[in-house]
Amino acid sequence: MIRTIAKPTEKKVTGCGECRSTCKTVGNQSCERITRQK
Amino acid sequence: MPSLFCRVPIYLMLHIFDYHSHHYVYDTGSGSLHECDERTARYLKGEPVALTEEELSAIAALRKEGLLDAPETEARPIKSHEVKALCLHVSHDCNLRCRYCFADEGAYHSVREVMSLATAKAAIDFLLRESGSRKVLEVDFFGGEPLMNLGVVKETVRYAKEEGAKLGKRFLFTTTTNGLLLDDETIRFFNEEMENVVLSLDGRKEVHDAVRKTVNGKGSFDAVIEKVKKFVRARGDKHYYVRGTFTAKNLDFSKDVLFLADNGFDSISLEPVVTDIPDLAIREEHLPAIEREYETLCDEYVRREAEGKPFLFFHFHIDLEGGPCLQKRVSACGAGNEYFSVVPNGDIYPCHQFAGDAEFRMGNVFEGKLDEALRAKFAESCLFTRKKCESCFAKFICSGGCSANNYHYAGDINEPYPITCEMMKKRVECAMHVLAERKSREK
Repeated sequence: MIRTIAKPTEKKVTGCGECRSTCKTVGNQSCERITRQK
Repeated sequence: MPSLFCRVPIYLMLHIFDYHSHHYVYDTGSGSLHECDERTARYLKGEPVALTEEELSAIAALRKEGLLDAPETEARPIKSHEVKALCLHVSHDCNLRCRYCFADEGAYHSVREVMSLATAKAAIDFLLRESGSRKVLEVDFFGGEPLMNLGVVKETVRYAKEEGAKLGKRFLFTTTTNGLLLDDETIRFFNEEMENVVLSLDGRKEVHDAVRKTVNGKGSFDAVIEKVKKFVRARGDKHYYVRGTFTAKNLDFSKDVLFLADNGFDSISLEPVVTDIPDLAIREEHLPAIEREYETLCDEYVRREAEGKPFLFFHFHIDLEGGPCLQKRVSACGAGNEYFSVVPNGDIYPCHQFAGDAEFRMGNVFEGKLDEALRAKFAESCLFTRKKCESCFAKFICSGGCSANNYHYAGDINEPYPITCEMMKKRVECAMHVLAERKSREK
C-alpha cells in the first residue's frame, strides 16, 4: 500500500515575494503568509 | 521598470528511493511525499508487478487528487526589479586566517579595509530608494569579520531604522561572526537588533584548529568556544546558527555535528567546503563516504528526536507542507537582481561570493545606478535556465543551486556543479526520511 506523508498546503496567494532572501545559512524555507497559522 | 515574467512548462517525475527498509516516493510535480511497500515501489518504477485491487485503487486515488504523477503545470519566476536585500561587507579584514576562506582570509583579493559610516549610509539609501513597494528589507553585516567594525554596524542599524520608519519600511538585520570579539555588550546588541546570527565553529577542537587559525597561526577553538556558548545561552528563542565547514580532512563530519549538539548548540549547520586547495577540496571520490556519513548523521538525528533530545540540523529540515510557492522555488536566490553585496569602497556586486571580481562589478552606491545589462543576465537566471536541472527530482528544493559556485566551478552561472548536486540530493533524501519518521511518531 501507499500512504501520503506530506503534501503542500494550498496557497491563497502565490508569487507575492514576501518571503526572505535565500542563499550565510528554498528547501528550508516556509511561506511567510502560511506561517502568519499563527 | 516592468516585472519580467516567463512561462515554462514543468516536467513531472517520481523519485522513488530507499532509506534502509523504507520505500519513499517523492512526486516532483505536486511536492508530495509518500511511503509505500517494496512491491508498490517496484510497480511505480514500471516493473511488471501484480498489485491487488486495493493497492491499485490507492494509487489511483492519489493520482486523482493530483499527488502522484501530478499533471504538468506552469510557473512564472518572481522577477521584480525591486531590491529586497543587501549584504554589507563592513570589514574586508579578519582576525582569523582560515585556510579555506573564499574571501581570501577577509581581504577579498584586495587591500584590508573597513567600510566607512558614510558608505554604509549610502548603501542603506540605495536600498530604500531601489526597494519600490517592499515593506520589509534585509541587511546582512558580513566580512571578513564584521565585529572589527562594530561601531559602523551599530550606527548603520540606527540609521536604517530611522530612515526606514519615514517610508513605512522595516529592516531585518543579520550577521555572521567568528565569535572572537564577542563580549557582553555585543551580545546584548545582537540580541536586541539581529534577527539571525551565524557563528562559525567547525566542530571538534582538532578539526576546528586544523583550519581556523589566528593571525599568529594558532588554532582558535579555545579562544571562541566559551564565547559562543555564552552567546547562545543569552539568545533565548531568537534565531541563531552555529555554522561549520567540513573538508576532505574530516569526512567523518557527523562527529562534528554531534559534538556541537553535545555542547549545547541546538541550531546547527555544517557545509561542504568550497575551495580548490588540494588537501581540503571535496572531490568525486569522496562522495560515497560523504553520503554514508549523511546517513550516519540522519540515523542519530532521528534517534535523538525520538528520545526527546532533538536539535536542528539545517539540511535535515524541509518544509513540504508550508514551504514556498512554486514561483519562489523556480526563482532562485535573486542575486544580482533583488540581492546585492556592497564592499567597503561602495562598489556593488551580485552577491558576497562575487565580491572583488572586477568582471562582476555592477556599480557603486555613490553613483546610484547599476549595470543593467549584467543585472538582466542575473534576472533571467532561474531554474529554467539551468538545463541540467530539468530532470532532477530535487530541483524545486534546491532551485538550481548557487550561481557563484556554478560560475567558479564551470564558468557559467547556469551550469550546476555535479559534486554539489549529489550532496544536495542525498541531504534531501535524508530530510524526507526525518520528516517521515517524525510524522510516524506523531500518529
